[in-house]
Amino acid sequence: MSSSGGSAASERDLRLDFFRGLALFSIFIDHVDSNSLLAQFTLQAVGFSDAAEVFILISGYTAGMVYGRAIARQGLLLAGMRIYHRVWQLYVAHVFLFMQFMATTAYLVDSFNNAIYAEEFRAADFLKEPGLAVIKALTLQFQPEFMDILPLYIVLLAGLPFVLVGFRRWPTGVLAASLGLWLAVQLHPSLALAAYPGPDAVWFFNPFAWQALFCLGAWCGWRGITGGMPWLTNRWLGWLAAAGALAGFLIRFSWTLHWLYDPFPELFGTALWPLLSKTNLSALRFANVLVLALLVTRLLPAQAAFLAGRVARPFSLCGRHSLHIFCLGILLATIGHLVINEYLGGALLQGLVSAAGIALMIGTAAVMDWFNAGQRPSGPPVLKAPVATRGG
Amino acid sequence: MSMAGTFLHRTLGLMAAAGIGLLSLSGSAAAQEQDCAVPASIYDTEPPLPRTAAALASGQPVSIVTIGGASTLGGAAGSADRAWPARLAVALTRRFPAAPVTVDNRAVASQSAQDMAARLTREVIAVKPTLVIWETGTTDAVRGTELDEFRQTLQAGIDRLRASGAEVVLMDAQFSRRTHAVINFDRYESVLREVTDANEVPLFRRHDMMRHWAERGLFDLITVDRDQLPLVASRLYDCLGRAMADFITRKAHPGTGTPPASPGSHP
Repeated sequence: MSSSGGSAASERDLRLDFFRGLALFSIFIDHVDSNSLLAQFTLQAVGFSDAAEVFILISGYTAGMVYGRAIARQGLLLAGMRIYHRVWQLYVAHVFLFMQFMATTAYLVDSFNNAIYAEEFRAADFLKEPGLAVIKALTLQFQPEFMDILPLYIVLLAGLPFVLVGFRRWPTGVLAASLGLWLAVQLHPSLALAAYPGPDAVWFFNPFAWQALFCLGAWCGWRGITGGMPWLTNRWLGWLAAAGALAGFLIRFSWTLHWLYDPFPELFGTALWPLLSKTNLSALRFANVLVLALLVTRLLPAQAAFLAGRVARPFSLCGRHSLHIFCLGILLATIGHLVINEYLGGALLQGLVSAAGIALMIGTAAVMDWFNAGQRPSGPPVLKAPVATRGG
Repeated sequence: MSMAGTFLHRTLGLMAAAGIGLLSLSGSAAAQEQDCAVPASIYDTEPPLPRTAAALASGQPVSIVTIGGASTLGGAAGSADRAWPARLAVALTRRFPAAPVTVDNRAVASQSAQDMAARLTREVIAVKPTLVIWETGTTDAVRGTELDEFRQTLQAGIDRLRASGAEVVLMDAQFSRRTHAVINFDRYESVLREVTDANEVPLFRRHDMMRHWAERGLFDLITVDRDQLPLVASRLYDCLGRAMADFITRKAHPGTGTPPASPGSHP
């Protein structure tokens, strides 16, 4: 999604990078400790959905736009190759994260075996059979802590060429099939992909459900370059989105207040549980991210001055290099987790670790930006278009 | 110069603090029981257990069944009478000599919540317990049980236990400084909190307690050498058993153990 020529750069939607950056920071903070005070004020505080939904929706949108355009310009074969090249990059990133996980485990394994809780970890099959764990990680079935979103993204992107071809022939049909599959998962949650190590373990993000969000995003991105979406400006839709987002926020906010101060009542606490499964992207989470996205497109223009300004810059910087910064964030969250527990740190250390991690993420993104900018003019001008390989 | 002075001051201060810490540690070791008090904030918002408390206070028989995993079974301490359920029985009997207390430990290592729930009818409800303490979540986190399934298992289990007339306490995972880096306990901890909160079931926050003890240097759970392990484990389980006795008898002793009303001090 990097600039593929002057006209594309000028019409660039600055919101995509900004919100992707925001999602990256949220994911990092939630991963350091999802029960921390700080984590109560990330994207998950805004409604039922959280950074994962934002990330997948934006990724779908960007992929639909970038690769939809690539198909029109370069043909299906070349565009398909670009998509699978990207899938390969994601896979390599997944393997890198797994190496990092195994290194951490290897470093800690003594304290697993010698400690009081050693017996409880006899169930941790990956400690007993590391060889199998490696194979299961390579086949995307082993998704230990924080290693669940890249496998989802890999399979979603791998299916994208077929979806895009479908959009050209039967756009409504493909979208309906995608939503139908999502509905099937809601009715039969057993429709899932098996995972390792547990006998009943499944993928944390059920791809049969989450594909609907990605496809809908891709469809919007694809519509954006083919015919636009005039209905987006419908006034009633805007009000509906505002009402939905407000209701979601108020209910979710009552939960935060209840968490902070027990006597404060939770609105619809248990009643909404069946509609809040993250694994199966249940209706409320799905609807919530859509109304939030609608609201943002209404309230924040694609070229808003704010998005080009100083405050937004760290977010956009990280959003522009989302894969690298995401992986860095996972690495930093693991280290941060270790540091906090090793020194038994409280809220102060948690805040410091989070701030340091975010600073490192921004710094790395800035260096990457500078490096890319330095490389661009020296490259042969013929290769201008294929440089844009970052489809979300 | 001034930096060196500050450094010297700090070092001396640290040494002094360590010395006092050592002195107080050896002091408490001299006493039979370790001082492992728990801050009231760990208990403060938990709903009470009226029937168990009333039975204890009035000297009626109290039957407690514990169900859980390896840490409830207590293998690390070397023998069953050093597991926390056995220590709970000792602590309760000491406090309420008139009430005949039995604690039936039905833990099995490495079972998921689902495995345990499958045993509820035959092994727990059949005994007609006054109170059931259900320690769960660790194996599910290790094996990656689907979260909604975990939630439904807990909910169904609580419903069945309560329908049988028993009072219920849930207990969460142990605190460990290092395992959290590679196994995601947070998600399961959140579900435990949500389910117990919604059902007004007391959650015995073992994780926070053990963390508190670790912060105070009571138990170094990592660098235990194998010979020391049973000793450290039995001290830990004794503390847990006594903390559990405090936890379920708060209402049986009006006045003592009733925490000050400090709102919402979740860490």
